[in-house]
Amino acid sequence: MHLRCALCIVHCAFLLVTLSSCERPPQATAPAKASVRPVTLPDLSRMETSVQEQLRGAYAALTEKIAKWAPPAELAQAYGTLGNLFLAAEYLDAAESCYLNAETLAPTDVRWPYYLGHMYRTRGELENAAQSFQRALALQPADVATLVWLATVNLDRGRPDAAEPLFTQALSLQPRSVAALVGLGLAALARRDYGRAADSLEQALAIDPRASMAQYPLALAYRGMGNMERAEAHLRQRGTVEIGPADPLMQELGGLLHSAVAYENSGVRALDGGDWTAAAGFFRKGIELAPDRASLHHRLGTALSLAGNTPGAVEQFQDAVRLSPTFAQPHYSLGVLLAAAGRSPEAIDQFSAAVRYDPRYVEAHLQLAGLLQRTGRPDLALPHYVDVITIDPRDVSAQFGYAMALVQLKRYDEARARLTESQTLHPERPEFAQALERLRLLDPNTARK
Amino acid sequence: MSGKFYYAEIIAPGAALFDYDNDGDLDVYLVQGHMLGTGKPLPGATLSVAQDLSPALRGRLFRNDLVVNADGTRTLRFTDVTEASGIQAAGYGMGVATGDFNNDGCVDLYLTNLGSNQLFRNNCDGTFTDVSRESGTAGAPESAVKAVQPWSVSASFFDFDRDGWLDLFVGHYLDYRIDANTPCFSPSGRPDYCSPNVYRPQLSRLYHNNRDGTFTDVTVTSGIARDFGPALGVVAADFNGDRWADLYVANDGQPNQLWINQHDGTFKNTGLLSGAAMNAHGKAKAGMGVDAGDFDNDGDEDLLVSNLKGEGGDLYVNDGSGLFEEQSERSGLGFASLAYTGFGAAWVDFDNDGWLDTLIVNGAVQTIEALRAANDPFPLGQTKLLFRNLGNGRFEDVTRRAGRVFQTLDVSRGAAFGDVDNDGDIDVLVANNNGNVRLLINNVGNRNHWIGLRLVGRPVNRDMLGARVGIVREDGPTLWRRARADGSYGSANDPRVLAGLGQSSKPVRVRVVWPGGATEEWGDVAIDRYTTLKEGSGNAK
Repeated sequence: MHLRCALCIVHCAFLLVTLSSCERPPQATAPAKASVRPVTLPDLSRMETSVQEQLRGAYAALTEKIAKWAPPAELAQAYGTLGNLFLAAEYLDAAESCYLNAETLAPTDVRWPYYLGHMYRTRGELENAAQSFQRALALQPADVATLVWLATVNLDRGRPDAAEPLFTQALSLQPRSVAALVGLGLAALARRDYGRAADSLEQALAIDPRASMAQYPLALAYRGMGNMERAEAHLRQRGTVEIGPADPLMQELGGLLHSAVAYENSGVRALDGGDWTAAAGFFRKGIELAPDRASLHHRLGTALSLAGNTPGAVEQFQDAVRLSPTFAQPHYSLGVLLAAAGRSPEAIDQFSAAVRYDPRYVEAHLQLAGLLQRTGRPDLALPHYVDVITIDPRDVSAQFGYAMALVQLKRYDEARARLTESQTLHPERPEFAQALERLRLLDPNTARK
Repeated sequence: MSGKFYYAEIIAPGAALFDYDNDGDLDVYLVQGHMLGTGKPLPGATLSVAQDLSPALRGRLFRNDLVVNADGTRTLRFTDVTEASGIQAAGYGMGVATGDFNNDGCVDLYLTNLGSNQLFRNNCDGTFTDVSRESGTAGAPESAVKAVQPWSVSASFFDFDRDGWLDLFVGHYLDYRIDANTPCFSPSGRPDYCSPNVYRPQLSRLYHNNRDGTFTDVTVTSGIARDFGPALGVVAADFNGDRWADLYVANDGQPNQLWINQHDGTFKNTGLLSGAAMNAHGKAKAGMGVDAGDFDNDGDEDLLVSNLKGEGGDLYVNDGSGLFEEQSERSGLGFASLAYTGFGAAWVDFDNDGWLDTLIVNGAVQTIEALRAANDPFPLGQTKLLFRNLGNGRFEDVTRRAGRVFQTLDVSRGAAFGDVDNDGDIDVLVANNNGNVRLLINNVGNRNHWIGLRLVGRPVNRDMLGARVGIVREDGPTLWRRARADGSYGSANDPRVLAGLGQSSKPVRVRVVWPGGATEEWGDVAIDRYTTLKEGSGNAK
């Protein structure tokens, strides 16, 4: 249900709104002299037990320090520790109170305004984020990460003029900072200084070609300079990898939360970054906390497989299937490993299971169709190619495979029709013309047509 | 809400403003859903319901019985005519599109669903007939992959081949099945709604009108199948000034597409090179609502896209040739909308000063902890946003001056824009997820002068969606507006053109570029009232 039928007419009358206050549950509050905000524990009931324990522990430690009238630095650390957990758990309001208290109690500790800056940025409050990063920068003027984040916030506020000197300052401290170079390029792009933007972004990509997200603004810079050919070339290389500044404080936060989801997220990031060993480590930690979560076993199997540990991978995929028999992905992954080992019948079984449980699993349909073709059953491959073409008409391999299966079945007329149609839809792909040429040589009837 | 965090629960609904009975005022269609999942009765919903709403939980049609009093004041009253209309919305409703697909002068209704869609033909007598199956627009899969149902939210009727008959684009979203719902969790392990990248996008559909009540699916042959993502927002307009209708599709978490009409029944996606596919940083955002309009009064269609919290709304400024520059931050729109998850959105000159402002309705898609801590049973509510165009490329956030309703927390999704009380300014119908719909009556716009135009074709009085209107003024630049029903989010808008003229009461000339490409002009068109302009009745240009 998403709507109750009742039309209520509201007149826009240019009225100001008064905010209502809300009652608060019991709070941990430091001694009044410190002028700190009350901090409460949110409802923990639906969190993972391990996270509940972490938060309760940090909260108890804070309460104890308050009760014992601990020195401000110690109290600040306790607030900050709890704030970090809240931030990692995405309880931003609670994190804000903790960090503000920590900063009040330990105004020379750079961590608290720095984390506050990130918290505000996540919450979309860029003015507050800029002010927080500015305070952090005042405490640590030569910190590249703070410079880059403050500059980035300024860029997001539509202030490229304010961002540019900060990126430049970061580069004077760390000339090969990809994040600063990309930022400088974006600031120049925002000012329509296309030449400067292209220079900075080219430099960034020369230092770290993995920074594929920068290809898009680089393409826009060349477009702005009227060089459409280079613009299109860079568009073809665009990706989603963004290289941030080296950021030990935020990195520390990334591994803070003991939850299966947090470990799974960290593992996925490591996988994306090509660090199979680290990824496997994160997934194993996740499994320790949630041994029955099939997705973690599947991801661990994937990391192990990429690291070359096939037996370990098979074991994890089998565990995933055992835990969730209708989970298509481990079936598919098992199929891939079995096919690579030449165990075609078993691989076919696994691929068949994958498409049974997820009928729109394109990769599984393709693997199954290919294997059926290679094992002499092109007739059985055809419907799987049809499914892929229906789901994603862009898939050239399915169109080509379908035509080749028809050739294998000596249904030359249909194969020719299919290849001709595919050639029309994808004129940029040479394989269809080449296949048609081969078909002419193969089939005398086709040659005459 | 089932309490199961079914992804589809948080995507709907849209709403429509359309004059189904041709009596000159805008009627209302409200999209509805129902309890998802098997065997769970409505009383099991996570939100308490004051009354048994089960019988009402399908799409509803309300007739506008507007009364204009002797002193010029308006009395609005709506009557639920669903049963009499014959509209039986069968699916879990998502959105709605309107357009007269059979050129009989009565506007028809297309309903998008989680599942097959429905096309209702208006019988011109207050009733509708379900022609989903025979029209060929239900969107149901035909092959062995039928186990996964179609899912679409926004759709657009537009005449892409200029044959005088409305074709139909349906933006499809994700492969999703309730029985294969993927559980998702927040970092703390608390169950929450998934992000769209958990599911695969579905291929959107383009249907060509066969002029006989049926459509042909031309998705593949038109080239539309070459690129697709999880489509949520759709708007058709001529973006490159060649007088052929193009399409812009906002995708959720993937690059948006700009389909440029190639004049031969095919389209080419120029989204990336055009600069309108993602922000200037190269990051694809979670595009939801979308609209095209000439916000800078330079004669071309600029794009507005609402996005996820933390991303900010996007403004793509057209250079007239279909190349765009993202000016979200420079304009102030991006920065000011960062803290919101935007859905329904439109260019709307709310104060009739001649500059298109923007209104965005919001609602989160993942739990807002502060609301949950305050025991909000549906902690996704956000306030709305209203930005006033300053006429210099920048916008001022005037939300706080716009009335208390703008401060109300709602889980808003669709928003339909139109002059509901026919008083010369644009009102807004806001469709909320798990909450009352809100009708926002504009009391500001008609303090300025305005011109209202209904653009109809010949020989049939059909609203000519896609027609461009130039309001040629003596004391200002020509205002270019467009007759449209699409845009926003899963919603259908007033097809009439309403342009603000500010304080000027001088007569205007009106130039119309019809969807077929011809141009006509009318002199001395009356202001501060609605005028119907019929194709062929002006001076050809």
